[in-house]
Amino acid sequence: MRRFVTGIAVAALLLSTAACGSSGGETESDGIDKVKVGVIPIIDVAPIYLGQQKGFFSNRKIEVSMEAGQGGAAIVPGVVSGQFQFGFSNMTSLLIAQTKNVPIKTVAAGVASTGEQGKDFGGVVVKADSPIKTAADLAGKKVAVNTLKNIGDTTVRESVRKAGGDPKGIQFVEMPFPNMPAGLQEGQVDAAWAVEPQLTQIKAAGGRLVASNFVDAAPGLTVAAYFTSTKLAGENADLVKRFTEAINESLAYADSHPDEVRAIIGSYTKIDEKTRADVTLPKWPTEINQASVETLAKLGTGDGIFDGATPDVAKLMP
Amino acid sequence: MRKVAYVLGLPVVLFAAWYLISAGSESFYAPPLRDILASFGRTWTLDRLQADVLPSLLRLTAGFLLAAVIGVALGVAIGLGPRLRATVEPVLEFFRAIPPPVLVPVIMLFAGIGNGMKIIVIVFGCVWPVLLNTVEGVRAVDSVQLDTARAYGINGFDRIRRVVLPSASPQIAAGLRQALSIAIILMVISEMFAASNGLGFTIVQFQRSFAIPEMWSGIILLGLLGFGLSLLFRLAEGRALRWYHGLRAASKGR
Amino acid sequence: MRGLLGLAGLLVIVEALPRSGLVDDGYLPPTSRIVAALGDEVVTAEFWQAVADTLTAWVIGLAVAVAAGVVVGVAIGAVPVLRAATSSTIEFLRPIPSVALIPLAVLLYGTDLGSTLLLVVYAAFWQVLVQVLYGVADVDPIADETARSFRFGAWARIRHVLWPTALPYVFTGVRLAASVALVLAVTAELVIGAPGLGKMIAVAQTSGAVPDMYALIAVTGLLGVAINLAARAFERRTLAWHQSVRGEVPA
Repeated sequence: MRRFVTGIAVAALLLSTAACGSSGGETESDGIDKVKVGVIPIIDVAPIYLGQQKGFFSNRKIEVSMEAGQGGAAIVPGVVSGQFQFGFSNMTSLLIAQTKNVPIKTVAAGVASTGEQGKDFGGVVVKADSPIKTAADLAGKKVAVNTLKNIGDTTVRESVRKAGGDPKGIQFVEMPFPNMPAGLQEGQVDAAWAVEPQLTQIKAAGGRLVASNFVDAAPGLTVAAYFTSTKLAGENADLVKRFTEAINESLAYADSHPDEVRAIIGSYTKIDEKTRADVTLPKWPTEINQASVETLAKLGTGDGIFDGATPDVAKLMP
Repeated sequence: MRKVAYVLGLPVVLFAAWYLISAGSESFYAPPLRDILASFGRTWTLDRLQADVLPSLLRLTAGFLLAAVIGVALGVAIGLGPRLRATVEPVLEFFRAIPPPVLVPVIMLFAGIGNGMKIIVIVFGCVWPVLLNTVEGVRAVDSVQLDTARAYGINGFDRIRRVVLPSASPQIAAGLRQALSIAIILMVISEMFAASNGLGFTIVQFQRSFAIPEMWSGIILLGLLGFGLSLLFRLAEGRALRWYHGLRAASKGR
Repeated sequence: MRGLLGLAGLLVIVEALPRSGLVDDGYLPPTSRIVAALGDEVVTAEFWQAVADTLTAWVIGLAVAVAAGVVVGVAIGAVPVLRAATSSTIEFLRPIPSVALIPLAVLLYGTDLGSTLLLVVYAAFWQVLVQVLYGVADVDPIADETARSFRFGAWARIRHVLWPTALPYVFTGVRLAASVALVLAVTAELVIGAPGLGKMIAVAQTSGAVPDMYALIAVTGLLGVAINLAARAFERRTLAWHQSVRGEVPA
């Protein structure tokens, strides 16, 4: 009842005082920090699950637990309010947040493109009999992305530009990744920017890859990163440092043990074994490729996704 | 005059409280009301209203009207036929219990990503209160009235039109009213998937791009919209049910 | 019995559609495959934990919403001044979609049960409140006058006149709220990622595990059916005197 009253009172009055939750995570008497990480249940976050299993976090007196929300709409607010100590988000969203002065900063790399044309974990696909042969042919077509004005459409535009096409005429439409195989098949869209495991699924159904947009956007593109609130970074630098070390160890381990990655994905997703064996895994370098983030910022500025502002990449970096 | 005071009194008090309490807010997600109001005028220009709010309203209207027709028609049939009711009720209950957001991707598979999909989502979610209330209303029709109608040889469609529907109409109106607010919710939800315009789409877009005052201004607009629609609905209800309210008022001796 | 017939019909149709090729079985798997996926799910502890989580959020949320809805509804409905003063605010707050409250819920409660509860209570509360208000407005003026002339106090009038009139409406409200609460519990879990069936559906969906997704969606539907049956049985027992129930007894 009390919670209800609080909740409704806040909802009704839209009070502003609500956002003063705890931010440090709980520290047990034996010095172990309990840390919640907001993630999306996709392949990209396999290293943190692997690191948890391997004890890379408990070694550093961190008891990590993952909170897997869909789409991540809840992750940034959760981190800002201190409900989560860390979160996982794609780089463009973090840049957008930076232009709006959201008090967050990155603490470690999340996931990166493989950098190999045709062999990346995300790409633009079309139906087998589509007249679209190269990225340049996408001009004037209807292309599905999971979120408008984000990393998908800016990088796809770059692919089209590099292939000599005109990205202006592309009509981007929003479609959740899991719907893309059907959307393509039924002709609801001409092309789709898909990531694993849907990419494998589409290719298995005869789909054809026409562009590796992450590869076209920048060499060694950092696609996503782990971040925390500036508040926690200021108040508990030691915890952040230990978390970063643990994540880095996890990333390095995941990068060199693909079989274990494929196995652990089964523990937090429902991707079947065959697909897990077939998907193209991303790269998990331990450093955020700052040059690639600068490029993303430049592309985003050109496409007008920052509402006229220019992101300050340095402020976002650890 | 007094009416105006009643309508505006509490909202004014609440808004004032919000304004004062939030004035010094430094929380990123709960900015001062001053900023929200400032962004309101900036955000909801005529162009925006036309480009985003109008399509939303059109889809809402289409979905709501379709749901009303389907709900009342099915409701009368089910309410009058105990056997039919026994057969289809579990299936209807089953579909009603499925959260519409879960079904959006499924509906998309079959209806594409255009306006049709969004209208179907709205219909799917808001047909239930209409249906349920119609069934209840029809079941509660006075058995004496029904027998009287039968005795006078009023049968079939005439009986539905002259006896069943009027008698059930206050309940149906209650259902429609609920359906309207659910329709607004689903209008927003349907625009969270595969949309490129709409009020819901815009609010989600603001949320994603961390334009928080704009997001709050959108939520306020949504509230205003719901309020306006509900006023319109009450006017229509008042007209359609004049006899019923008249009856009530008459027996209250006013 | 007849209800089972209706459900059986649905199962046959879902089996036949993909088998006949009318619908791609990658998007709508036949009943048998969905049932098989369900069979795999129900033997896991994870599944039952999720069901328990969802039902916990549902029970608590519904209880709070009903209690608050009835108390507020009777109080507002019985006092004309209050009703006039609050109606615009109610009409304003009600259409604000609970999904718009997600950032707020996360700020307050993270991905705990609390964030699900906030959305559940917010959505279910209006269902009860509106029905109670309708019910209170439906009080027979003559009965009320009669009670007044017998010098019934305010409490007695609420107890003996207002409450019996409003009761069928309250039940309709509770029944609607019960399903809305379930819908919102699952939606919140789906979008925010609070533990429960909704989260499992989200994971199945992003993983492309289509039969699992349908199986879990079906489970939410079945839960809803069970909840409604229980609500109806309860309603029939307590409202046996009311016309809408009375008409059924002889059959």
